[in-house]
Amino acid sequence: MGKHSKYSIALIAGACSVASSVAFAEQVTIVLDTEPEQLELCQSARSQVGKVVRQNIGETLTEIDPSTGDITPRLATSWTQLEPTKWKFELREGVKFHDGSDFDADALVYAIQRTLDPDMACENRVKYFDGFELTAKAVGPHTVELSTSDPVPILPTLMGTMAIMSPSTPMGEPSRAPVGTGPYVFAAWEPGQQIELERFDGYWGDTPQVTGATYVWRGESAVRAAMIETGEADIAANIAIQDATNPEMDFSYLNSETSRLRIDTQIGALEDVRVRKALNHALDREALVGSILPQDVILATQLVGPSINGHNPNPKPYSYDPALARQLLDEARADGVDVDAGIVLIGRHNIYPNAFEVMQAIQAMYADVGLDVSLTMTEAAEWFELLVKPFAEDREPNLLQSQHDNNNGDAVFTVFAKYHSDGGQSTISDAEVDRLIEEAGKATGAERRSLYQEMFARLHDEIVPDVYMFHMVGFTRVGPRLNFQPSIATNSELQLSQISLR
Amino acid sequence: MFHRLAIRTAQSTLALAGLLLLVFFLSRLTGNPTDLYLPMSASLEAREAFAEKHGFNDPVLQQFLDYVRGILQFDLGDSIFQGRPAIDAVLEAFPVTLRLAAVTMALSFTIAVVVGSVAAMRPNGPFDRLASVLTLTSASAPDFWIAIVGILVFSVGFGLLPTSGMGGPLYWVLPVLVLSVRPIGLMTQVVRATMISALASSYAKTARAKGVPERRVVFGHALPNSMLPVVTVAADLTAGFINGAVVVETIFGWPGIGNLMLSAIVQRDFAVVQACILVTALAIFVMNVLVDLSYGWFDPRIRETST
Repeated sequence: MGKHSKYSIALIAGACSVASSVAFAEQVTIVLDTEPEQLELCQSARSQVGKVVRQNIGETLTEIDPSTGDITPRLATSWTQLEPTKWKFELREGVKFHDGSDFDADALVYAIQRTLDPDMACENRVKYFDGFELTAKAVGPHTVELSTSDPVPILPTLMGTMAIMSPSTPMGEPSRAPVGTGPYVFAAWEPGQQIELERFDGYWGDTPQVTGATYVWRGESAVRAAMIETGEADIAANIAIQDATNPEMDFSYLNSETSRLRIDTQIGALEDVRVRKALNHALDREALVGSILPQDVILATQLVGPSINGHNPNPKPYSYDPALARQLLDEARADGVDVDAGIVLIGRHNIYPNAFEVMQAIQAMYADVGLDVSLTMTEAAEWFELLVKPFAEDREPNLLQSQHDNNNGDAVFTVFAKYHSDGGQSTISDAEVDRLIEEAGKATGAERRSLYQEMFARLHDEIVPDVYMFHMVGFTRVGPRLNFQPSIATNSELQLSQISLR
Repeated sequence: MFHRLAIRTAQSTLALAGLLLLVFFLSRLTGNPTDLYLPMSASLEAREAFAEKHGFNDPVLQQFLDYVRGILQFDLGDSIFQGRPAIDAVLEAFPVTLRLAAVTMALSFTIAVVVGSVAAMRPNGPFDRLASVLTLTSASAPDFWIAIVGILVFSVGFGLLPTSGMGGPLYWVLPVLVLSVRPIGLMTQVVRATMISALASSYAKTARAKGVPERRVVFGHALPNSMLPVVTVAADLTAGFINGAVVVETIFGWPGIGNLMLSAIVQRDFAVVQACILVTALAIFVMNVLVDLSYGWFDPRIRETST
């Protein structure tokens, strides 16, 4: 081998090495707390699936900004309501799926039919499209008419939850290799070990800086945090408060969850609103903040956060006033209400960090005002049976530890199940609340917001179906290589295109 | 020996059938998986439709007959959460656990035999005392704590080892060491006790009187005769590993059978639970047969009794 050949090989090798290290430098590794069971786009409402696929592999027609609730175009460029039950969506032209097929009206109709197929048991359908019929019809190469059996004024919002898959995805069976239109292509999945995505060169939008991502998962928060410190990963999701010890790397953010104790208003002393108010006044919420719950949690007055359409900023948190709580209980007792009968405080292990400790503290606070409260902790399955109807006839008066997640921009995703008389988890039956929920569901704009706000005010001030707790926060650890700010959306999606490298 | 093997096989088959029966009905007692699969806001109609589709509304006896029919056709059902055959998930996870168990037990066994034998040569001597303190400590140390401390010291502190994951030899160091700590402690204690007894026996004394070097007395004569209880303890520990080293698998992100079984139990993914139990039970049955055979190899009297 001649001298020049040797130099050439050395130069090529060096160039390859530099190229690969540059490529590697623009790759990110994300460590999740659990492996996604599927990578099916119609299951993207599941948080562990959504974090990988949503807006990375599969995109939606519209996009919800969880911090404001605003809807912006994504695969659809515009939409018009033709009738109360009919909408027209204009689709973005020139968009390709990762398999090379065109995104057009026919492709969208197929994706909607597949998502709504009952055999698929898609979370996206069950969570957002249950209770009414949705049919899609192509009326032009890039125009689709969507019809609903009932008026659904927030259909554009709902379409922000449905990730669109390629027509090559088989109907009726879940996919483990998703094909969408997003900025990243599914590359590989080694079950139990890692998932890899690569940047899609044919993406219709701006080219993201990150060239690819590797997803790994570790069940232990301390290990996830350690992986950022050692440089093995760049983003670690769901860091426990006790592991979030590095202020330069650990970001706290409202995670769209709101915690509460659901009051069973149909049983014993809890039927009396004075007792329910006493339960709220007896709770020293501030004492929990910065001790067993993170410093950044916000006292809640309703089950949706400030960014959700319909949130009412006016109700003030119930004051911690044990004297007033005792007085309310005495008044109820004087009227023959059996406030001295036992109340069961039902917790759920790990519903949020330190959930058990929170329940122990609450039990002690209620004991301080003279209530006889026992504490029972449950596992997820047992807890769920207590959460949903039908409720057991012979149940005891109870307060159920609960947490609700709404980052979809509108109170509609919360109120029916929780507070309507027919809601699957509702313990109240109030004609006025029912009316407000139904009217708001049909209304749009300011009227819709106003009706929901009126409903939340009524719930807070007059019905009191909950012991309101906190808008919760989560922690994500971000490595020093990245510019990435976790947000309220991070619980359900993690858009790689929003990450840049320092 | 074949007679003994046949009896053992028949016993194990009966035990396996009983186990599967128990697991099937006990898992159904925990309730319907529908509530855990569908979102909290799912309507009653959606829940009913899901339960109907997956046969959860069928009488339990009918479900059991379907399950038995499936086993006879080598079909262990589909994982409702993973949307694929349960056996696929199990056969991906099981080799990971087997590899981890094999390396851990080989290391633990070797260290235990050497340390236990050397300690037995001079009971209550300095080495024996040191070994006893260390092995008693290691036998009672919690896996979880050792694993986290190991990561903090060797990965975060010194940067010598990866925190977790599967890969080259360095990725094996922490999981295997953490998993070995307890077996080394337990088996060393057993080896030491049986070796002290063996080294005081008449055949060991005779060997020494005939001028056989002490090293050969220990490792050539006493050790093989001390192996039966050690093999029994090792088999018991291995059975535990085959069922999954849940803590180590979880912390180090090893996708083994323990991790899979735990998440399947929590999710009520019945098909996966049943497939995990079936595969691990079969593996333990095979291992028990091998252990039985090894008894005959270590002690010819057992072989002769069997024949």
